[in-house]
Amino acid sequence: MSGFTISRRTMLTGSAMLLASTAMPALAWAQTPKKGGRLVLAADSEPRNLNPAIVASNGVFFISSKIVETLAEASFDGKDGLAPRLAVSWEGATDGLSATFKLREGVKWHDGKPFTSADVAFSALQIWKPLQNLGRTVFKDLTAVDTPDDLTAVFKFAKPTPFQLIRNALPALSSVVPKHVYEVGKIEDNPANNAPIGTGPFKFGEYKAGQYYRLTKNTDYWGKDEPYLDEIIYQVLPDRTSAAAALEAQEIQLAAFSAVPLADLDRISKVPGLKVITKGYEGLTYQLVVEINHRRKELADVKVRQAIAHAIDKDFVVKTVFLGYAATATGPVPKNDPQFYAADVPTYAFDVAKANALLDEAGYKKGADGNRFSLKLLPAPYFNETKQFGDYLRQALAAIGIDAQLVNNDSAAHIKAVYTDHAFDLAVGPPVFRGDPAISTTILVQSGIPDGVPFSNQGGYKNPALDALITKASETLDTTARTDLYKEFQRQVTADLPLINVAEWSFISVASDKVGNIANNPRWAVSNWADTYLAG
Amino acid sequence: MSRLRRFLRTPEAVAGTLLLAVLFAMALSASLLFPGDPQAIAGPALLPPFQDWSLPLGTDRLGRDVLAELFHGARTSLAVGLAAAAAALVVGAIVGTLAGFAGGLVDEVLMRIADAFQTVPGFLLALAFVSVVGPSLGVVVVAIALGTWTGPARIARAEVLSIRERDYVAGARVIGMHPMEIAFREVLPNALPPVLAMSSVIVAAAILTEAALSFLGLGDPNRVTWGGMIAEGRTVLRTAPFLSIVPGIALVLTVLSVYLAGEGIVETTAVRRGLS
Repeated sequence: MSGFTISRRTMLTGSAMLLASTAMPALAWAQTPKKGGRLVLAADSEPRNLNPAIVASNGVFFISSKIVETLAEASFDGKDGLAPRLAVSWEGATDGLSATFKLREGVKWHDGKPFTSADVAFSALQIWKPLQNLGRTVFKDLTAVDTPDDLTAVFKFAKPTPFQLIRNALPALSSVVPKHVYEVGKIEDNPANNAPIGTGPFKFGEYKAGQYYRLTKNTDYWGKDEPYLDEIIYQVLPDRTSAAAALEAQEIQLAAFSAVPLADLDRISKVPGLKVITKGYEGLTYQLVVEINHRRKELADVKVRQAIAHAIDKDFVVKTVFLGYAATATGPVPKNDPQFYAADVPTYAFDVAKANALLDEAGYKKGADGNRFSLKLLPAPYFNETKQFGDYLRQALAAIGIDAQLVNNDSAAHIKAVYTDHAFDLAVGPPVFRGDPAISTTILVQSGIPDGVPFSNQGGYKNPALDALITKASETLDTTARTDLYKEFQRQVTADLPLINVAEWSFISVASDKVGNIANNPRWAVSNWADTYLAG
Repeated sequence: MSRLRRFLRTPEAVAGTLLLAVLFAMALSASLLFPGDPQAIAGPALLPPFQDWSLPLGTDRLGRDVLAELFHGARTSLAVGLAAAAAALVVGAIVGTLAGFAGGLVDEVLMRIADAFQTVPGFLLALAFVSVVGPSLGVVVVAIALGTWTGPARIARAEVLSIRERDYVAGARVIGMHPMEIAFREVLPNALPPVLAMSSVIVAAAILTEAALSFLGLGDPNRVTWGGMIAEGRTVLRTAPFLSIVPGIALVLTVLSVYLAGEGIVETTAVRRGLS
């Protein structure tokens, strides 16, 4: 693990600091976890709905994954990249029409009632399928969940559904909530959405708007001796510069999700007692993507799209915008995905001359002012990096004679402008790759998606061959054949460029040396933290 | 004693005017000294000032020339400041004159409208307006003017109320001039000096409001603005403070120079009016 951390200590384990380092062995990472303590960390947003079964997003998981658990969690070394949580084993039928989950014994809800297969059936049928942002696609063919006994849940599908997809969806999409709490009244209005009740290692304590969320230890947790921490406090620090200051002042012990700006990492890694960790987000890869409105006649020409791809210096973007904390992208599946990534795809090297030649070839000659045509460019406002890339892209396009006019919007206005009104030519978006292209990646290029669905193909791109491929892959049960189809999908997307993948990035945590068992799974920041502890 | 001599005897006024002249020179020479797009990437990112003499003030997070941005930013700041102040003064003077000269119902209606605008803090009004209409230079000018026209309107009205009782106004009525003509040709010019005295404060406030809007990301994104530069520098405040400090100093000097020069002019004219 230490290979991924940069801290003053690893840098100074030279001879000069021998004297000082002898005073520190108590802080070594590989020690037995200590019980007790309160972990205080920075939270940059305050989600109102904390029900992860309805809102499957990282902002909600960050807090609620400690309270409400899923059937399985992502894992670095587990089989199929999974570690059991509420389910202890799972198996898909060969015909793809059912999947059987064996559930964990002796699990209790925070209010003392026992956890049974009825809770899983209720969550899947009443929440994941009809209400959840991601579950709507993945569980669309789920018709029933049989519960032969209290510890078995059998999912029944109307159409063959690849078990690989269900498996890959478990960590993010399978939050189980208690049936006895949710069966009365409307699920969306249930008070437990704001004060969740789950089976996790921590119970919801209280929430003070603008100040903090407090989670307390669940003494009845199923994990042996877990959790180690007594309390977790999410200190609301919306200002990104204040997280670094709070860490240095030892007011907080952890800032996850890149709460510390990238530009500050170099400085903060040299502060004694703090470590910078780039691990623990492998399952949460964000992609920097140029979304294209194919309704514009210039952009409907593949040569123009290729020219734009050639105009972008991906290495510069990684080095300057992300300060090296990112990787260049080749296509719609990130390089760090162990199952689906295909390297043999058409690539577009940074080549301004070639880009200019392609545009000339397409018939868009430079005018007297050096411009070929004008475009409206809408960078998504969610991240500093998407905004900065927007600034960069404007310059990169100017170099090939495309005059891009930036339009800045707030989040709500941006989503409306791009995904409902289609009032853009180019947009910069940060879609998330969630471990399987069928969860949230194929809809970025698939046609026939209704207006207003955010983070989907709203650029009017229509490619029957690609649509057929996506449909075929969604019905293919064999894991190898399905994986191959998604590799072909990557080749077709990169050849025709319905959108341009520029970079892939994840987040950085900065933590006090005292916090132990950090980043020990690929979705660490949004996992349950049952084994996290505070030393000394 | 001539007005110029009196003006030159106040050192603040001279300093302010000189500074303002430098700023105008910067704004006007921006395209000559730094032709092309000031937002073009000119060198390595985050180069500190005074390291490379082709980029004397260093570069920002994307490697854009800070000095070029500063010069082009002066243009935006001054243009917005002057345009917004001019708009506020013109609208204010007209509304104030109409209200004061017409009196009665017109006065009531116009002044209640002014009240309504005055009860909303000017910056909030600008913020709301820009976020609804969408940021561009013209919209920012209108947004700032919306919050500042009431001051000149009230002063103009007060002046007009006293002027309209003067004999020469009565004379104009007797010779049958149209009331509008009296209001704008006889009354308004005489009511103007105290209104214009406010202009320096309004320009300074407008420049600050524009910077604040840009800082919050509501400026025109296709133009360099000092407020936008400060906002961008804020994310790297601890590692590259000069990115925020340099445009910050420019902003302070501009506001100060406008204010000092304005004060100087007001004082010389006030003394003249008081003595004569």
